[in-house]
Amino acid sequence: MITQMHLKGLMFDPYNNAYIVVLRDEDGQEMLPIWVGKTEAGAISMALENVAPPRPMTHDFMKSILDAYDAKVISVVITDLNENTYFAKIHLMYEDSEYTVDARPSDAIALALRSNAPVFAKETVLNKQSSEELEQWLENLKPEDFGKLDS
Amino acid sequence: MSQTDTPPEQGLIAYKVDRVLDETNTDTKILVLARQDGRSDSFPIWIGAAEGHAIKLALDTTLTPRPTSHDLIKSLVEHLNVKVRRIVIGDVKNSTYYATVHLENNGVERTVDARPSDAISLALRTHAPLYVTEDVLARRNTANLDSWLAKQDNKNSTSQQEVGES
Repeated sequence: MITQMHLKGLMFDPYNNAYIVVLRDEDGQEMLPIWVGKTEAGAISMALENVAPPRPMTHDFMKSILDAYDAKVISVVITDLNENTYFAKIHLMYEDSEYTVDARPSDAIALALRSNAPVFAKETVLNKQSSEELEQWLENLKPEDFGKLDS
Repeated sequence: MSQTDTPPEQGLIAYKVDRVLDETNTDTKILVLARQDGRSDSFPIWIGAAEGHAIKLALDTTLTPRPTSHDLIKSLVEHLNVKVRRIVIGDVKNSTYYATVHLENNGVERTVDARPSDAISLALRTHAPLYVTEDVLARRNTANLDSWLAKQDNKNSTSQQEVGES
């Protein structure tokens, strides 16, 4: 079973000096926080805010290569969680064949946003992620912390 | 990088990545290219810290616990059976360099524009040759270059190998 996830926001986590990509399912029942580095957060934020950078950034370049050969990103699936590390797969369609490529969730999400491709999470990942702890953590955050990205 | 002896087109000079230097006091790194034929020419390109890190990882052939963004690009092209034929730094405007990545798949060639840092990160990972056009070499702004080189030579005279020989 997989559940479609939507990007709820991007937050700065001052305790770990990292960013958190927050994914949420349609009805807000499931939440998935994924810690990412500053560069990766920047790549996601630019796609979120629809900012066209003056130069193609790394994930724009990635998308251009796929476009050059008419390869399409069908979907991205967060497939596993192991000791706080998430694993993702990118599903591609190219010349009537499907390909699956392993990736970090941050890269996969940055590419999915640029390809208008849906992001899914496996049920096992959602179950592993204890949402209780997260909710408590989120409660302590102010609303203005959401969707902000220091650059 | 495996390099071919003859450039695929006229007006292309083969280069290689010499080293990545830290620029003190700023969040940038300096990517230094050197001519493949050994002729003296240090060609610095200022790049971001993250981009410099990606190139350093490829230079040192460091295995990272997770695939980096450029490892993913390599993985994507491999899955699609696309070959990275060459990287060409083909334009410069206001000290900003522009690169083109030449790809091939079953005889179908495509070119994709990229920042030199992304192009070179991919070239190092796919063992693709790197070229700079004569036009870019002629038009690049060398006014800052000489003072930069002098500064580097002072700073690195003990720690870095000399590339410039007359």
